[in-house]
Amino acid sequence: MVQSKKQKYMFLAFCLVPTFILFAIFTLYPLFSGLYYSFFDWSGSSSNKTFIGFGNYIKLFNDAIIPNTIIHDYFLVVTKVIGIMVLAMFFAVALTQLKLKEAPFYRVIFFFPNIMSVVVIGILWMFIYNPSIGLVNSGLEFIGLESLAKPWLGDEKWALPSLVLPSVWAGIGLFMLMLIGGISNIDKSYYEAAEIDGATQWQQYWKVTVPLLWPQIKIAILYIVITTLNGSFVIVQVMTGGGPNNATHVMGSYLYQQAFVQFNFGYGATIGVMILVLSLLTVLILQFFMRREKVDY
Amino acid sequence: MKRSVGQILGRGGIRIPLILWTIAVLYPIFWMFLGSFKSNAEIYRNPWGFPETFNWQNYVDAWTNYNIGTSVLNSFIVTIVGAVLTLMLAIPTAYAIERINFRGSKFLFTLYVSAMMIPMVLGWIPLFFLLSDLHLLDNIYGLAIVYAVSQLPFTIFVLTSFMSTIPKSLEEAAAIDGLSPYGVLWKVITPLSMSGIITVTIMNAIQFWNEYFMALIFLQSSEKYTLALAIDFISSEAQYTNAWGTLFASLVIAIVPVIILYAIFQKRIAEGMTEGAIKG
Repeated sequence: MVQSKKQKYMFLAFCLVPTFILFAIFTLYPLFSGLYYSFFDWSGSSSNKTFIGFGNYIKLFNDAIIPNTIIHDYFLVVTKVIGIMVLAMFFAVALTQLKLKEAPFYRVIFFFPNIMSVVVIGILWMFIYNPSIGLVNSGLEFIGLESLAKPWLGDEKWALPSLVLPSVWAGIGLFMLMLIGGISNIDKSYYEAAEIDGATQWQQYWKVTVPLLWPQIKIAILYIVITTLNGSFVIVQVMTGGGPNNATHVMGSYLYQQAFVQFNFGYGATIGVMILVLSLLTVLILQFFMRREKVDY
Repeated sequence: MKRSVGQILGRGGIRIPLILWTIAVLYPIFWMFLGSFKSNAEIYRNPWGFPETFNWQNYVDAWTNYNIGTSVLNSFIVTIVGAVLTLMLAIPTAYAIERINFRGSKFLFTLYVSAMMIPMVLGWIPLFFLLSDLHLLDNIYGLAIVYAVSQLPFTIFVLTSFMSTIPKSLEEAAAIDGLSPYGVLWKVITPLSMSGIITVTIMNAIQFWNEYFMALIFLQSSEKYTLALAIDFISSEAQYTNAWGTLFASLVIAIVPVIILYAIFQKRIAEGMTEGAIKG
């Protein structure tokens, strides 16, 4: 290619600089200054911004709500990983191994909630849980278990577990497709060999499907963990706002409340730093534990 | 092939959970459509069945009482401006990272991609004040910029992997024919990447159309509300006004464009999202 060095750099700058400037202003700068704000006591106006060193971090460790928000987040992580992986795995295997004619139909339907807005999902499920007209309580009454009916989202003990079902409902399709993609890449000859050796369907599942699918399973679990830790607060905010009595607050919704409702911006930033640290640590630890020798048969 | 009785039963039995889950997915969505045609009294009397008559009053109420038309317009503006801006920013960078040798290209790519894993909540506090200083707070164009930048890492990531499949010889031939690098980028690379560009744009558009939390933080006055915020507002009001029918109507308005896009681009959307998740 005939072009001078100067032209090349001009073109390179044209490609990279505007994008990077905007990325720096709207992504990098806010992250770093969030870190910086966490050392200030600050209610929003520039006049009363005071440097308090690790004051917010000390407050964080003494805040009785914080441990609960962390527990709530990890409760959602664990229940979502189990719920989504078990069902997605089941559906993926069912749709690939059984060669059902209508398999594409299920795929299209199961995936749809993945592209619905969290607001729509949250409001729909608020109705499903509605104490007087909701589907759950009507269903329980219908089968004669009225005694189990309760105001699900208004009950301190049941509100958080009630948030798991909508998240699983909304998440399964994507992971099912990921696993289906993995399964269809598994060479059929492994199953034929297993069949000849007299392996049952169940054995084939555990000895062939799961090990060969491990890369996809690992990615799926990591993806659920990351998206939950970085985004669980959205469904919490829509469905319960953290209530009743803080019973469903996760780290992100508590940050929102502290920063944008009570105007403790410095403390909110400190919670943000905690989310960042915990989410990166969790991913590192998970990656360490999910290392598994690549299987080759 | 012979099939044992057990296998046949198994195939029939396996359909039961599949059908149950289909109902679990579809019923709430159908029910939302049905509810949007019911009066409030009917919603209480017969919450989960068919409406007695189909009337459009709820849609009229959503339009007149809650100004949902403005919110729909705002959502369209944010979605379209955001999606176009994302492309304008992402295409040149993706091309430079993928095809031009320069020092730091690996680093730049890693920087963009790792931003996908960082929880942005921390950044939203400073962003709030930054937008306020730039007079972009409570401004749908400000929100569109924030959206565009938030989807940059994902978009760059998808586009670079797409551009890597384009044969280099095409660019070289175009350059020999005297096309400038700008010409190569816009007249050769962009058209050849069109399939990837469409996929990623549809996904960004759905993301922007659905987004709730950043809109909640960065928009304040009700005439600036996007659809997600308007719905949230109607929902919280409905606790007192019991205007559930109106709420359903607004949910339907929010979901119909997504259903239409999904009906047309189902394969692209599903593939794009799984690819994005697997490689990310």
